[in-house]
Amino acid sequence: MKWIAFVVCAWLAIGVSALVVGAASDAAVTVQLFKFRPDRLEIAKGTRVVWTNQDDITHTVTSGTPEKPERAFDVRLTGKGTSGAHEFSRTGVFPFFCERHPAMRGEVHVN
Amino acid sequence: MKRVIYTLAVLLMALSAGTAAAATHGPTSATKAAELRTGLNSLFREHIFLAAAATGAALDGREAEFKAAAAALDGNSVDIANAIGSVYGKDAGDAFLPLWRKHIGFVVDYTVGVATKDSAKADKAVSELIQYTQDFGAFLSAASPKLPKTVVADLVKHHVVTLKAVIDAQAAKDPARAYTAVRTAAAHMQMIADPLAETIVKQFPAKFAK
Repeated sequence: MKWIAFVVCAWLAIGVSALVVGAASDAAVTVQLFKFRPDRLEIAKGTRVVWTNQDDITHTVTSGTPEKPERAFDVRLTGKGTSGAHEFSRTGVFPFFCERHPAMRGEVHVN
Repeated sequence: MKRVIYTLAVLLMALSAGTAAAATHGPTSATKAAELRTGLNSLFREHIFLAAAATGAALDGREAEFKAAAAALDGNSVDIANAIGSVYGKDAGDAFLPLWRKHIGFVVDYTVGVATKDSAKADKAVSELIQYTQDFGAFLSAASPKLPKTVVADLVKHHVVTLKAVIDAQAAKDPARAYTAVRTAAAHMQMIADPLAETIVKQFPAKFAK
């Protein structure tokens, strides 16, 4: 019985640690008033960026630029409170924009 | 005698103080709230007059006039965005301008569709304009949460419909109907400007205290 309790506790501890690590490596971007905030991020390789829509309308987070869409990631945020994420596993500069509102642009710098 | 002079002096001082108070607190139209309301009404109505001038020139093939009207219309768009930015912040003004310009692009598409008798193009432009009303509603509702998205979207939809009536009358070469439609479209803009001004004043009371 003690052994089972130990395993359960250990499993919970590992799980919680993983959650904490996951949260720590996330970067947040809010989409509000038709703007990505912040619109420029500096992150480390392996970081996950989470975009959360605060506007009551659909926005997309599409990689590339309106002139040259890449769609390496293409997150659709269908309304207020919706969110989507992408993990950046390579270094470099990754522009993104909203396909529905091309004036909305941002950039992720991965070091 | 001295006492009479003293009493008169006190009375005079009291009278001048009363006049000064009346000058300070009397009725005035020179308030920041009134400036905002008249400013927004002027800008939105100007939008109609310049848009009608641009579409009329385009439909008649008067290219130089169309270009001049389109440039003036864009100047009006910048002024509207600046007005929005002055209230909600520069970021909001910067985000507003492309959104506002977008609906003008759809109006141009509709005009081209009508001029070339390309009903598919005209229908697509109308559909995009209707979708745009949702975007516009979402923007203003995000900036001023007291403005419901659906209400703003409906008001802007009516703006689209009244402007479309202007273009249709111009295309039909019916100037009497066109100018009546211009007046209707311009009058409707007050339905957007007034509640917007009222909401802004209530949302930022410190900015419009006097």
